Amino acid sequence: MAAPCSRMASRPLWQFITNVRRTGLKHTGVRQISLGSACRAATQTRSKTESVASPWKLYGAVCLQRLPVISQERNPIEDQFAELMHQMELERSLLSDHEQRLLEDSERMTRKQADNYDSDEEEADYGGQETITAQDQEDTWEQKLKHFQPALRDRDVGGTPLGSVERCLGDSLVLLVQQTVGKETIWLLPQAQWEAGETLRQTAERGLSSLPEADFKATFLGNTPCGVYRYTFPKEVRTERCVGAKVFFFKAFLSAGSATSQKEPFLWVKKTELQGYLKPAYLEKVDRFILNL
Amino acid sequence: MNPVIRKASFALHSRVLDQVGLLFRASVSVQHPIQGSLAFSNERQYRTMPTHGIGKYKHLLPKEAPKKKKERQQMKQIKTATDAEYGTLNVKVSGYDMILVEHYSQYIHNLCNRLGVKVAESYALPTKSTEVMVMPEQGTKMYVDAILKTHERIVQLSQLNATLCPTFMEVLLKNQPEGIQLSVKLHTEADYQARFKARPELEGLMAQMT
Repeated sequence: MAAPCSRMASRPLWQFITNVRRTGLKHTGVRQISLGSACRAATQTRSKTESVASPWKLYGAVCLQRLPVISQERNPIEDQFAELMHQMELERSLLSDHEQRLLEDSERMTRKQADNYDSDEEEADYGGQETITAQDQEDTWEQKLKHFQPALRDRDVGGTPLGSVERCLGDSLVLLVQQTVGKETIWLLPQAQWEAGETLRQTAERGLSSLPEADFKATFLGNTPCGVYRYTFPKEVRTERCVGAKVFFFKAFLSAGSATSQKEPFLWVKKTELQGYLKPAYLEKVDRFILNL
Repeated sequence: MNPVIRKASFALHSRVLDQVGLLFRASVSVQHPIQGSLAFSNERQYRTMPTHGIGKYKHLLPKEAPKKKKERQQMKQIKTATDAEYGTLNVKVSGYDMILVEHYSQYIHNLCNRLGVKVAESYALPTKSTEVMVMPEQGTKMYVDAILKTHERIVQLSQLNATLCPTFMEVLLKNQPEGIQLSVKLHTEADYQARFKARPELEGLMAQMT
């Protein structure tokens, strides 16, 4: 495609600073990504009058992903291996400072209780008794651990609706939206039509922000599209001017914020569940760039 | 010495030894060639002798560069960004659990090797210890509850392709372990200088000079 691709190549790269934190489970259930731009050159838009308009309509779509919040559960084999490695490391390891202190304290106690205990000698060696022994510390730590309640791994025990962002916390989810294309309403990745004078990435951003009742803050990682889907219109709609449409996909990650109200038009699905919602030809192209990690 | 006379004396020498006896012949004949060669190698021949410099070989070997003393550490050039590639990027991995931090930084390094991204440097920053003080509800004195150590590892990438970058970042983000913070920044000279220890005497002398 002549117009938008060349524009993208001419746009200078912006240096970015990305700070990603993966801390404990929060209410939003979404990883915080903050992005700051160190130097962002002004977008150069070439004023190039197109003498011949191309017969393809251009769309920019965004593949918004919510990154996994917690680690995935282990397979039975992985479980066994982890246990085995843990046991091996334990058997090969040396005593730590704390464990040595424990041993010394217990030895000292046995020596105290022995008949030939010379307290002066002991104190000369150790320079006065310690008020808190290692065993006492361990007891206090165990007490504290009992008070601690870890959060549940699976929040959707009851079955959260598919539109909720906090669905499968261990997997990455993709946003699907129901839009009317031509005559039908189908599920697809949110897209918007390209207008002259903007880059395709801006089209994708516009497509995301123009979603009704949604307040998604997304972080786009680069200017390059990750995939393209090309289709021709059915014969009735086809004219001289527009033969079909090309959709360029951009990847983005959900940084903060979620939909204000969970309504019908949104879906957060895993890669394996995409088959139930997308059309086959569309799914084939989309499948290629969604990683199943 | 005259080579002819030398030869004659050598011949005489061998004849005399032959006449000594059968008993010693074996040992003598074994010893004799060794003795002869030893005699030759221990004595350097005079300059006029044709055998002068017979054992020399160093001039036949290829020339080695003279061994330089180790130079002072110089900073590697910080590359600037071009239209297609990013400049020098610092990927910093930090967290409380050293095992996870190290394994994740090793994973990043291996991933870069496999994807063809050049890794300029890979180093660790000093560990920072944080003391957690707890103040009990009754009383004012705070006591030490725990000591948390923050470990940091940095992987420095030099030429990351702009088309590869989104995929690379996605893989990194999806494989990030729990409790680990990932940060990607541009490398600056201040970052480089921060790795060195301060030298107070040198700074004092420099201040005196100016």
